[in-house]
Amino acid sequence: MKLVLSLLLILFLLSCKTIRKEKSELVVSNAEITISKVKQSDTFRRGNQVYSDFCITCHLPDGKGIPGNFPPLDGSNWLSYNRKGSIHAIKFGLQGPIEVNGEMYNNLMVPLGLSDQEVADVMNYTMNSWSNSNGNLVTEEEGAAVKK
Amino acid sequence: MKSIILLLLTISLFSLTACAQKDTTIKDPATTFDYELVVGELQIPWGMVFLPDASMLITEKSGELIHFKDGQKQMISGVPEVYQRGQGGLLDIALHPNYGQNRWIYLSYSSSEGEGEGGNTTLMRAKLSGNQLIEKEVLYKATPNTTKGQHFGSRITFDNDGYLYFSIGERGEKELNPQDITRDGGKIYRLNDDGSIPSDNPFVGTPNAKEAIYSYGHRNPQGMILHPESGEIWVHEHGPMGGDEINVIKKGANYGWPVVTHGIDYSGLPISEESSTPGMEDPIYFWVPSIAPSGMVQVTSDKYPHLKGNLLVGSLKFQYLELLVLDGKEVVKREKLLKDIGRLRDVKQGPDGYIYAAVEGKGIVRLIEKETPEGNE
Repeated sequence: MKLVLSLLLILFLLSCKTIRKEKSELVVSNAEITISKVKQSDTFRRGNQVYSDFCITCHLPDGKGIPGNFPPLDGSNWLSYNRKGSIHAIKFGLQGPIEVNGEMYNNLMVPLGLSDQEVADVMNYTMNSWSNSNGNLVTEEEGAAVKK
Repeated sequence: MKSIILLLLTISLFSLTACAQKDTTIKDPATTFDYELVVGELQIPWGMVFLPDASMLITEKSGELIHFKDGQKQMISGVPEVYQRGQGGLLDIALHPNYGQNRWIYLSYSSSEGEGEGGNTTLMRAKLSGNQLIEKEVLYKATPNTTKGQHFGSRITFDNDGYLYFSIGERGEKELNPQDITRDGGKIYRLNDDGSIPSDNPFVGTPNAKEAIYSYGHRNPQGMILHPESGEIWVHEHGPMGGDEINVIKKGANYGWPVVTHGIDYSGLPISEESSTPGMEDPIYFWVPSIAPSGMVQVTSDKYPHLKGNLLVGSLKFQYLELLVLDGKEVVKREKLLKDIGRLRDVKQGPDGYIYAAVEGKGIVRLIEKETPEGNE
């Protein structure tokens, strides 16, 4: 009896897996192809390094920040709807209250002293990490165009 | 079955400790504290010092030196150019113990002088003439330059014998710098007041050693005091995730980073298997979770009965002033003062006996101990 039950369970689990797999294969879209391309790009790789050196202490490796202190980047409405403002914050810092995903944050981010290329790289990394995806990459020129 | 339950229990316990970002050992203060703003409209006041006339010199990380006198801010010219990247900038400021006679002011900052792209921590002394820095002498410049944005240090303190101590962080190269005495970074340095190296420094004569090194195995020390009673140098440093430390500095000693730490990496993975090992110094206190400590003072004045003899440390991460109640070298209690005030960068006791704190985005504030209302004991 016990054997039958476990066999059934294994079968059930296996079937689940195959169904899920088929489903996910069906929904592989252009967007997913784009994001896997982005993740192999030089700008993403350099952005990862910049993130590890400058951003990780506050926004953490999972991009979730610290509730009440440092806002999240993963799934952040501020990042996705305020592209120019995000570039501006990386270049010139940010001070005072902001609302991210319905929560208020009132802290200070210092100007990081990055080159325009590094600003673009770290934008591209954060826009395409964790659950974020945005194939419309930031260029060095776009980074340079944002002025104080 | 039993072993599976045990395994599950262990895993869940591990995940609990890994997620524990909440600070459970800190208490609300027994006495109420308030503050008043003394110097307003500062961005990142990194260091401050009181001159004999009770005016203040304040460093802004962006590279400005401000003389605050009679309620007015005066910009000082001739400040060295700083390498502006990440945590770098114009950092600490200190006066010579005999400032009244020799007028020497000591500054630390990140500089791109020398070979290679990037910058590294630099110590300078200079004098103030009117509103200008003159007679500037670079006393120490760490090498090599690097474009890494983190862990410059740096605090400056003199001991009772007139030696100058300052810190340089490991510059984001934990595998390369802190354990290697032939390289700069991750060290506490000791110099004579003119920048020369004391002949009894611990690594004088050691082949290829940086002979200014006094202790090593540090990560990023941003708080340093001369202990008023013992005459020892006490330093605190940032750990990674967890593992900020307070250490009493001993000549030639190894403080363990990254071989032993109470912290874990930002990836969530352990950095060291052990948190203590023979031959490496244990901290007298460590913080888990990290508070991101900056600035430190031991209160000696009679203005604050509740604080006297104890340590105050700024928290950048949680934005308050931390009181560490001491019994000798043991921290017996912690209290959270000035809750939510902002990123607290530096703390000093003024010549008037009051405590002054430098808060990012705010300015310099004076700490006020409120009297306990009658009948409320």
